[in-house]
Amino acid sequence: MRRMIIVLTLVTVLSGLVLAATFASLSPRIELNRERALQASLAALFSDVDEPQFEQLEIEEMDIYRGEDAEGRLIGYAVAVTASGYNGPISMLLGLTPDLQQIEGLQVVENLETPGLGGRITEEQFREQFIGLDPMQSITTIRHVEPDPAANEVQAISGATISTDAVVDAINRRAEKAIDAIRDAEDR
Amino acid sequence: MATRSITYEFAKGLIKNNPVFVQVLGMCPVLAVTTSVVNGLGMGMATSFVLVSAALIGSLIKPLVPSEVRIPVYAVVIATFVTIADLVLRAFFPPLSASLGPYVPLIVVNCVIMGRIEAFATRNGPGPAVSDALGMGAGFTAALMVLGAVREVLGSGAFFGIELFGEGFTPLLVMILPAGAFLTLGVLMAIFNALKEGSHTVLIKAESKAEA
Repeated sequence: MRRMIIVLTLVTVLSGLVLAATFASLSPRIELNRERALQASLAALFSDVDEPQFEQLEIEEMDIYRGEDAEGRLIGYAVAVTASGYNGPISMLLGLTPDLQQIEGLQVVENLETPGLGGRITEEQFREQFIGLDPMQSITTIRHVEPDPAANEVQAISGATISTDAVVDAINRRAEKAIDAIRDAEDR
Repeated sequence: MATRSITYEFAKGLIKNNPVFVQVLGMCPVLAVTTSVVNGLGMGMATSFVLVSAALIGSLIKPLVPSEVRIPVYAVVIATFVTIADLVLRAFFPPLSASLGPYVPLIVVNCVIMGRIEAFATRNGPGPAVSDALGMGAGFTAALMVLGAVREVLGSGAFFGIELFGEGFTPLLVMILPAGAFLTLGVLMAIFNALKEGSHTVLIKAESKAEA
């Protein structure tokens, strides 16, 4: 009986120590990877700008980045948006033009959607549909027919309407609030 | 149990006792992550790492562990190595880690690992235990890669991420969906066992000759 307790305690304590050491030594690298993925996605939103610089705005409960080019001119904003997808959270960055009137682009940072179906939200063909849409108006998903960008429409990915709707809903819920918050923050 | 050579303990995991096609163990990752060859390779390597490490530790600590608590002890050992594998993947192979998603932590409940520890590692010395684990790991990895290859070629028209066919190719979407996993596994299992059956008579002859 006593031996059982000693062995189990020893094994768990040792495992804990090994894990703590592994985590401590690898976590800076994992953090760095996450930061790099974020920076790469931010840069991809403004791919026509050389060496864009991003600074996070001080806004509560929202991750919003202000982008500037090498000369310090405002190139736009990026809003972190999280959708609940088919298999788990989809984390995205929504790019906005400097005047906040149009969507600059959409990048998917992390997703667990089904490869080949929902996973196609990462493809340019899907993402480029959002460019130029009005972020203050609700975006609608349509099927079968050609979308009309003037009416804020995007076409759903066939076989992956749940993933498409998740992305569109998340943008619709976040965009207006984010724009209000940017306006407040930049007025100061 | 008759003592067998280290090479035999390794080789039996490849064909004779292949964990996927013969023992049909650990089906969750087999079906879930084999949408591409790279995923199959990554999952196979991660599982093999856990399998080999846990088999070695399990075999070494066997004399110290009272049999009443052996399952929790092995579960803790397995979980520790799985977490290490997950952290290493996240630190050094972020894209692979992202595409395997929650299936890396789920290696904890892969029954190939607990099965090999219970059935083999704790009944043999560290040498045969590691050899057996390496063989099972290699057999598991190979099976996952074959499944991944079939599904990637048919379902995405690519191999190792390289496009194989031109614009005219319409991928068979079903192949990268769960249904495609079952279809591929069934067909491969049939082929595998037919081949094994065919070589069986040859093997028996060879074995009886060796024994004589």
